[in-house]
Amino acid sequence: MKYFIVLAMLLAGRASAQSPLFQLLPAKETGIHFSNDIAETEELNVLSYEYFYNGGGVAVGDINNDGLPDLFFTANSKPCKLFLNLGGLKFKDITHEAGMEGRPNSWKTGVTMADVNGDGLPDIYICYSGKNAAQRGNQLFINHGNLHFTEEAAAYGLNDSGYCTQAAFFDYDNDGDLDMFLLRHSVKKIDNMELASHRDEQDPLAGDKLFENAGGHFVDVSKKTGLRQSPLTYGLGIAIADINKDGWPDVYVTNDYNEPDYLYLNNHNGTFTDATASSFRHLAQFSMGVDIADINNDGLPDVLNLDMLPEDNRRQKSLQLQENYESFQLMTGQGLQEQYMRNMLQLNNGDGTFSEIGQLAGIFATDWSWCPLLADFDNDGNKDVFITNGYLRDYTNKDFLRYWGDYKIRKAMDREPVKLMDLVQAMPASMLKKYIFRNNGDLTFTNMQAQWGINQPAVSSGAVYADLDNDGDLDLVVNNINSEAFVYRNMSSEQGGASWLTVKLAGKGGNTAAIGAKVYAYAGGKVQYAEVNPARGYLGCVPAEAHFGFGATKTADSVIVVWPDQQRQKMEGVALNRKLVLKEERVEAQAPPMALKTVFSAAAPLIDYKPEGFGDNDFKRQLLMLFMYSRTGPVIASGDVNKDGREDLFISGDKKRPGMLYLQQAGGKFETTGAIVHEDSSTVAAAAFFDANGDGWPDLYIAKGGYSLWEPHTATLQDELWLNDTQGGLRRSEGMVPDLSANSKSCVRPCDYDGDGDIDLFVGGRVIPGQYPLTPESYLLTNDGKGHFTVTTTPFQHIGMVTDAQWIDLDGDGRKDLILCGEFMPVMVFLNTPNGFVDKTSAWFDGSQPGFWNTLTVADLDGDGKPDLIAGNMGQNCCVKFSGKEPGELYFADFDHNGSIDPFFNFYIQGVSYPFVSRDELNEQMYPMRKKFNSYKDYSNATMKDLFSKEELAAAGKLTVTQDRTMCWLNKGGHFVAVDLPVQAQFAPVTRVLAGDFDQDGHPDLLLLGNHSDNRLKIGSIDANYGCFLKGDGAGGFRYVPQPVSGLSVKGDVKSAVNLTVDGKKYLVIGASEGALQFYREK
Amino acid sequence: MKKLIWVCLLLTTGFAGVAQKSRDRALTEYLRPAVFSLTMVMVHDVVNPPAASRYYAYVLLGAYDLVSQHNRSLIRPNAFVRNYPFGAAAGDTGYDYRIAAAWSILETGKVMLPSGFMLQEEEKKFLQLLKKEKWPQAVIDRSLAAGRKATDKVVAWSKGDHYSLLSAKLRYTPLKKDSTWYPTPPAYMEAVEPNWRIIRPMIVDSSDQFMPPPLAHFSTDTSSEFWRLAKEVYTLSKDTGERGAYEKTIAGFWDCNPFAIQTSGHMMIGNKKMSPGGHWMDIAAIAAGVKGLDFDHTVEAQTLVAVTLMDAFICCWDEKFRSNRVRPETFINRHMDARWQPYLQTPPFPEYTSGHSVISTASAEVLSYLLGPRLDYTDNTEQLWDIQPRSFHSFREAAEEAAISRLYGGIHYRDGVVSGQVQGKAIGEYIVKRLQGAGVQPLSLY
Repeated sequence: MKYFIVLAMLLAGRASAQSPLFQLLPAKETGIHFSNDIAETEELNVLSYEYFYNGGGVAVGDINNDGLPDLFFTANSKPCKLFLNLGGLKFKDITHEAGMEGRPNSWKTGVTMADVNGDGLPDIYICYSGKNAAQRGNQLFINHGNLHFTEEAAAYGLNDSGYCTQAAFFDYDNDGDLDMFLLRHSVKKIDNMELASHRDEQDPLAGDKLFENAGGHFVDVSKKTGLRQSPLTYGLGIAIADINKDGWPDVYVTNDYNEPDYLYLNNHNGTFTDATASSFRHLAQFSMGVDIADINNDGLPDVLNLDMLPEDNRRQKSLQLQENYESFQLMTGQGLQEQYMRNMLQLNNGDGTFSEIGQLAGIFATDWSWCPLLADFDNDGNKDVFITNGYLRDYTNKDFLRYWGDYKIRKAMDREPVKLMDLVQAMPASMLKKYIFRNNGDLTFTNMQAQWGINQPAVSSGAVYADLDNDGDLDLVVNNINSEAFVYRNMSSEQGGASWLTVKLAGKGGNTAAIGAKVYAYAGGKVQYAEVNPARGYLGCVPAEAHFGFGATKTADSVIVVWPDQQRQKMEGVALNRKLVLKEERVEAQAPPMALKTVFSAAAPLIDYKPEGFGDNDFKRQLLMLFMYSRTGPVIASGDVNKDGREDLFISGDKKRPGMLYLQQAGGKFETTGAIVHEDSSTVAAAAFFDANGDGWPDLYIAKGGYSLWEPHTATLQDELWLNDTQGGLRRSEGMVPDLSANSKSCVRPCDYDGDGDIDLFVGGRVIPGQYPLTPESYLLTNDGKGHFTVTTTPFQHIGMVTDAQWIDLDGDGRKDLILCGEFMPVMVFLNTPNGFVDKTSAWFDGSQPGFWNTLTVADLDGDGKPDLIAGNMGQNCCVKFSGKEPGELYFADFDHNGSIDPFFNFYIQGVSYPFVSRDELNEQMYPMRKKFNSYKDYSNATMKDLFSKEELAAAGKLTVTQDRTMCWLNKGGHFVAVDLPVQAQFAPVTRVLAGDFDQDGHPDLLLLGNHSDNRLKIGSIDANYGCFLKGDGAGGFRYVPQPVSGLSVKGDVKSAVNLTVDGKKYLVIGASEGALQFYREK
Repeated sequence: MKKLIWVCLLLTTGFAGVAQKSRDRALTEYLRPAVFSLTMVMVHDVVNPPAASRYYAYVLLGAYDLVSQHNRSLIRPNAFVRNYPFGAAAGDTGYDYRIAAAWSILETGKVMLPSGFMLQEEEKKFLQLLKKEKWPQAVIDRSLAAGRKATDKVVAWSKGDHYSLLSAKLRYTPLKKDSTWYPTPPAYMEAVEPNWRIIRPMIVDSSDQFMPPPLAHFSTDTSSEFWRLAKEVYTLSKDTGERGAYEKTIAGFWDCNPFAIQTSGHMMIGNKKMSPGGHWMDIAAIAAGVKGLDFDHTVEAQTLVAVTLMDAFICCWDEKFRSNRVRPETFINRHMDARWQPYLQTPPFPEYTSGHSVISTASAEVLSYLLGPRLDYTDNTEQLWDIQPRSFHSFREAAEEAAISRLYGGIHYRDGVVSGQVQGKAIGEYIVKRLQGAGVQPLSLY
């Protein structure tokens, strides 16, 4: 018997493990026969109308109020279709009876459903585009109930005949009726990027519009709203949400090509402000669809944009990627912001800024994508991601771009005509699998295509989720080009699934579905947040409901509804697994906002200094590097130069001004003096105050570095020692520092390592300009007591590309030991013994972990009296990832013997290590490679073994990285043990770490600062860190403190961060490579 | 009986003569398609104009070296090409040096061009031609081997011209001034060959030996010379009448843009054409045919043009990246008309001086020396691209038209064209002088 029970359990377990979450229902079962068939002809194709392949949409709404959601599909050239939900997942095509085919011989685009006339029945609004003006003109089908519709767009003032993409109904002026935002697009891409002059033009057919509902008639109020209406708008996606949670709906509009997206924040007075630049550090380039929802359950709506980056190496290597630095600069110089070709997940920080973490999340590359949907598909309480993708013709293929010309010539030689259709059909076509990701609850997502049954290839466009069978889980419907629509049934409830709750709201006045209402569900110590806004995704709309999953929890502690008029309604002890229909009543008073006392508060600048951008492009010198090395400043060092008890600062300069001393005066002012190092002839990489010559006055050591066009063994790279003149100034010394000009440096750390009473120096070598990644020299400079330094031989003088060092007595023998870190180096420990320095890294760390380490900080974090260690690394928010199992590798040599080093990075993609370099860059770097690979296709699967012979690779230099995370280790006496840091620590490269009890609770905290923007365009700017404050618990555990609570909003690539006491108050001074110095008052 | 023998002898020598004439003509006529097949590979590879000129120079020099080894009336290349390796004249070698020379043209192309493997098809065609003309296989085999040796020699020599150092050089960063060159729409391609001045020239002494007159001083003042020049480009482009149509025809004829990008939304396609150098190589072949030159002199004419192209591009590019002048398209968009586009696509390098003006004028000087100041010919090189042939009375007339066509095409100011002609003429005259000094005679009496 036991045997049978076990067997049964095994079988049951296997069955549920095997059956996927979604089941594709065939059309003959559902009755949903729909295919967006597009026929390419000589007259109508992608060359005559650029958006020919953009697909159609799906809208969901209960058109007959029978509790079953019905579906409407737009087809671009064929008739649209309306399907009535009969229950039991059976649908009836009622298009003809309802008269909903749409205008014949026209080009239909997006569709939305909303109760426009406030009679409780959802109406249907269809958008039109296409080159033929006579065939354009949007349609509004008013629902009269009993499946009867009449087209009345003209009567309502909504028959706009521009190039329309989609419309969204929402109450922008909070007056109780639904207004309409109309998203439109220009039909001609403008190639010229010097377009500042165009941006103020008003394009009557392409600019977006806003219509105010004035008593049932819609009036175009665009001109007074501040909307951008230039011919440069290519609106493809729209989502409505109250992004800044101020009670007024905002609008997010995506734009294709070089035009940035628009985040229109509602000003409450009928106007909007485009807040894109202040909110986002970078955007998706070819933005298509957009969804806005709270993906990390912190009550703040996040934004997901889509782009065209494929996941696999082969496709990536075949595409037109961004590698043109001049056109990128032209784009950013025109105020078009940084845009990169990949999906962007913008995490709302709650203070008006967003951190883009698509790469950390693992959802950044889903090929040519159209519609994102954020919803809880497995009802576990976290919103998952569904993305449609596909392209009918891959005309981004680089072989197609470069070699189409040959086809034309061949035809000419054969005296055959070249037909337009030949061009069109020569482009490769491909169907792709959609993507579905499960939210792991920790800002990362897992691809569940196989396990959840979403693995049917198609060319898809619009999609929606809806509970078609009212069983509590969200089904999916997808509009496909040239193939049947997908209807996926969600089997979560059938599989004995998790608890759920659907909230349907009945609003007041004309806003019968309470569009814009917010619903909060509290359960199991977590809060989930949703807005009732059907306008999201791509070309369609989702149900006007809020859906939540709760996993194993059986009841919700409470559900709070904030109605559009901001009245709050609270229910407690809410039973789950049902549809909760609420009417606006039982009003409660508005909860007052809590005043926050932040840990840091932004302060007015005490010093007015804004370093000018460097502008060097290091990739012009060494084409294949991943990161630039020129920008090291501003370098800030603190010391009491004039011994008046007040801390002074040295701040390095820029190309227009030299470095200077800032002497703190009484009352908190600073006086500048001196001219210390001109940045037009060398770069300050690091600086430190210390008493070099033992006269009791602090002197300044300046380490030179950078990259630019500097050459090794020239004065440019020679470090300088500036001696205190005891009058409040510094004087450059001569002959006290040996020749250190062999390479750029990274850090200078003073320490009396030999215990002879004078202060010595460790100076770390960073890189040899022009010869990356050859190992530079690092130096131990021994002081003779009078400020003369000589180089002492050590085992670490040629250890690697060092980025930072710290002197600390690790073994308690009274001698300061040296901890080092660097690029393609592990964090290393050298114990200072009477017989010299000894490498004890393997004793102190578990396994060598080479990474892109940037900074080291030592502090006692767990209060046991032993120094602990924090090391800033590259983080995990990058398109290149590496680990022990899948290391990143760098092979380098002068393979083509032309006097320059050829470095080749390799990273793992889908289990295989591929060279990072594209075919174009490869051919630029090594001309002989032009013969090796005849096409992009030939190169697309190449690995290092295909580029070089075994002998060449064996003779080449090789560096490895296996750890990308910023890490913290606790000192357990003779050994470091790693402790987990919150995921926010991995948002961006960490370049500075400050340790201290910033929140004054008796436990040391950590402040991680960083970002790095001067990278290869394929990597893009990594800038999700606005100041990561980790609150310590005193035992070595840390918790991320959200930005509105920490009070930090640090922008830019942080190069220096210094504590400073001014006028008795503690400040944090932060120097980022662009922008003015940032000041924060500490608690 | 003797008469019969004589008649037989006459007939056989006659037949042999006819057969030999047929072979001569076949080989001579093969030279144009041989060089053209290399041009087609360069079109496929999108080889940029200066790099194309370099390939033509080495490819032809290898063949010319062989020919001059056997034909004592031709001056050896080391007499006028600096540091060209010397080789003794050859005696009776058992191979046909003309087959070897033609073969070396194809072989050198195969070795040097990135997609050189595409020439295997052409080589097959050549071998079929030889079979058709009934060359003995043994002769063919020895000739091919000799051709290959000539290829190896010239390729080895080519490695010393610093081309391999280009990939180690600093890439170009546009100077951020209103007056300096910036990439142009639609693709904003990076500057092509900014360091070409380091390539070892063949006849001239140095890349800056023939610096053109100074360019008009940049100014946004509407009364300035520069503004007038820019305005002229703009105004000419707006002519929609007969004159405008004529100018555009000429611009299209001399377009010679290896890679003009056409966009439509997200789609970009590259339209390919032969480079300016390729155009003049074909003109040289046409002219040799008009003049009825034999194989050896056809090779000579083509070689001297190729070498001229090489030096002319080195000098022109030296100036382009010294003056870094902004293109009309950029200036007009910024200051006159944001939506204006030139008739031709602006190529990706600075404006001053006009490449076509320099190399066409230089080539015309050398061809005029070799083949006379007057020659009626019809240029049908661009027929593959559906461009109607044009007839000229002289090389200089063609070069004048090529030069001014750049103004009509909207991609150069007039002074970039005129100074280019001045530069080209100086280069051409210098090369002619050096050729004369080495004993190179004109190829026809006129």
